[in-house]
Amino acid sequence: MRQWLNDRMDLDAVVSFAKKKTVPAHRHSVWYYFGGVTLFLFIIQVVSGILLLFYYRPGEDTAFESIRFLMSKVHFGWLIRSVHSWSANLMVLAAAVHMFSVYLTRAYRRPREITWVTGVLLFYLSLAFGFSGYLLPWNELAYFATKVGTDIAGSVPFVGGPIMELLRGGEQVSGATLSRFFGFHVALFPAIFTVLLAIHLLMVQRQGMSSPIGEEKNPKARSIPFFPNFFLRDVLLWLIVLNILAILAVFFPWELGVKADPFAAAPAGIVPEWYFLFMFQVLKLLPAHVLFLEGEVFGVLLFGTAMTLWIFIPFFDRQSQKGQRGRLFTIIGLAVIIFILFFTILGWVML
Amino acid sequence: MRYFQQRLLRILLALSIPMAALVVPTMLPAQQDECFTCHQMMDGDAATAFVSDVHRSAGLTCASCHGGDATTDDMEEGMSKARGFIGVPTGESISALCGKCHDDAETMERYGYEGPTGQLTSLRGSAHSQQAGTTVTLLLQCTDCHGAHGIRHPEDAASPVSALRVTSLCASCHADPSYMRRYNPSLPTDQLAKYRTSVHGEQNLQGNTRTATCNDCHSAHDIRPAEESTSSTNALNLPQTCGRCHASAEYMRGTGLPTTQVAEFRSSVHGKALLEKRDMSAPSCNDCHGNHGAAPPSVQSISNVCGTCHAMNAELFRESRHNTEFARLDKPECETCHGNHAVQPATEKLLALDAGSPCASCHGKDRAPEGYRAAKRMRLLLDSLMLTMHEAEVQLDAAEQKGMEIDDIRFALRDARQARLQSRTAIHAFSLPKFEEVVDPGLRIARQALKDASAANEDYYYRRYGLAVVTLIITLTIIFLALYIRRIEQRQKAEHHASGEPTST
Repeated sequence: MRQWLNDRMDLDAVVSFAKKKTVPAHRHSVWYYFGGVTLFLFIIQVVSGILLLFYYRPGEDTAFESIRFLMSKVHFGWLIRSVHSWSANLMVLAAAVHMFSVYLTRAYRRPREITWVTGVLLFYLSLAFGFSGYLLPWNELAYFATKVGTDIAGSVPFVGGPIMELLRGGEQVSGATLSRFFGFHVALFPAIFTVLLAIHLLMVQRQGMSSPIGEEKNPKARSIPFFPNFFLRDVLLWLIVLNILAILAVFFPWELGVKADPFAAAPAGIVPEWYFLFMFQVLKLLPAHVLFLEGEVFGVLLFGTAMTLWIFIPFFDRQSQKGQRGRLFTIIGLAVIIFILFFTILGWVML
Repeated sequence: MRYFQQRLLRILLALSIPMAALVVPTMLPAQQDECFTCHQMMDGDAATAFVSDVHRSAGLTCASCHGGDATTDDMEEGMSKARGFIGVPTGESISALCGKCHDDAETMERYGYEGPTGQLTSLRGSAHSQQAGTTVTLLLQCTDCHGAHGIRHPEDAASPVSALRVTSLCASCHADPSYMRRYNPSLPTDQLAKYRTSVHGEQNLQGNTRTATCNDCHSAHDIRPAEESTSSTNALNLPQTCGRCHASAEYMRGTGLPTTQVAEFRSSVHGKALLEKRDMSAPSCNDCHGNHGAAPPSVQSISNVCGTCHAMNAELFRESRHNTEFARLDKPECETCHGNHAVQPATEKLLALDAGSPCASCHGKDRAPEGYRAAKRMRLLLDSLMLTMHEAEVQLDAAEQKGMEIDDIRFALRDARQARLQSRTAIHAFSLPKFEEVVDPGLRIARQALKDASAANEDYYYRRYGLAVVTLIITLTIIFLALYIRRIEQRQKAEHHASGEPTST
């Protein structure tokens, strides 16, 4: 059998590659595992998402009811939904940790710029997954959070209006918005995500793990075999994450809430998902006018510009390209982390 | 010529004073009223009427209303504008003149009057006035009801507003459709006709001045449409209005009527709904007794009265065996089980066979046993339904506390609750099969809900146990894996040492 497969797939080459593959071992090695954790959570997302698709029926009159049916009547339906929701949140968290660890260790430097760009795009796409998936149960909180979110998108000068209409499928958040978000969530985003992820993983395999600056030229630099050492450690961490996920899903099941009523008044305390909270909080705190722009428009433009620049960080950080650890980009990275943490906590406290 | 006229007048006056004193000696005011003296001789009607007017006996003269000087016998001088003569007042000025005294407590006190004042103010806020912006126009003047010169105390039988005459006075407008159409076409004009059929109206016709007439319920001057919350005939105020007489043991003495109705009504399900919850769909006194045609519903008509709201119950009752049996026994229909003024919420307790319960008053093990058995079975069914529903609710609350998804079960349980509500109507058919038709489906739903709710609670523990097993397996795997990795790495280390190679490249 092995021979039969080897004749057709050249398995020996793969085994040989795996045997030779090593991973640098140093005091920052722990950050390597977060990419694997993110991938593991993404796989859970795909599997649980496909299971949810068996029962989910998009539509104003069916979405909420189908989720309710899934949660109350389908065996382990509640668990699948809860796992899907929790793993989505954990995935965003793991991806963020992975991204910032890559940034602070300058792992984006040449020749890994493409890995960084695809990684950041994958992170943004994860946020888009979260935003589009949030509306799908068609409950009150999701409805109004989507309304607020798309309103913010609509405030972008010139293109905001058409973007908002494109997202909503009309002037208001309605059944058309739900259909669109469903399409984005299960077809468009997964398609783009798969391509970007394939490139990202291919680049990681081709280039291997990046060593921190200075470590490459260290004659005493150590490494460990990818198989089985690193791989088993990866699996070990995945199992820990799985355990955490199981406990969260069972002890804190994701509630369904009340069905969305477009004619009802918005309930008090509408907030977005925690990973958008810092942006929401900043937009809330901005003055009515900044320079010649409206506060909200200024905020949206600011975040839009920052997120775009973030994609191209490897090309701005000339020092890292030369193998030097520049202080400026460390300060920028830490400032971004502190900014996000501060406003997320502030948003949480001011709920 | 003028001199001749004055001489003649003086001669006539001189003759008339002793003559008038002979005819109405007691009605002469203390103060000499020269206007009255002349007018009594000249045209007569107004002055003659004024003889018996309460105002004359209080010392008022013609000039009190018409202006001028009543002390002089010189006509021109007495009726001169310089002396304030205004002639015959018309329109709004009539009521304004009356109000000058009757709206002022101090003035009225000077005349020794201790009764109510403020009648004109009341009239201006009543249904007998029209308001356009800040302008108030009276639709009728004081004199339209009280007369002009022969005004008597309302308790005086000759007064048009006296107890025995006031209904005719009000009806002179309110029973005239063509007249009423000018002011309020939607207002019925059969009040007097209905009143005559009421107990109040019959007593009034027999000369009973203590029985209620128009002003007793509607008030005299502050008459307002019943829809207005301040109206004495508004549903919310009606128990108090009727209770002024019917809750007064002293006033009702000799009538043989009880005076507990209002207190009983306040304690009833109807009274609480109306007076405490302000539910305007709840009945007030007039909804059962009628208003102008007020009469206690007879034994035969009670179900019609109650049936105006409780239509299904009444319909089922009419088709039931109890209808004919109650008629044969001369028992009032609804009242036999529910009472009248003190109707309490119809709970399952009504369907009881304990001593003193409505059913037990006719049915017993040995007396009408068929009904006894049916009632027993109905109560059993109802208790089962309620108990099962209660148990399901308890289980659902517990499951909800645990974060289980139970919305579907709660939704289904609403049908059981509906069946319980419908059973309260179905009971009026007094038929076990018909009752079972309503309660059995509800019982089935409640049992299923209880089963599902219990399963939801069990599922909660199943999830916990399941999680414990899964996390244990995963944790053991983690420990095993960690030990395995350690072993591999120790072996790799040993191999490298043996081969003399560095531990890693």
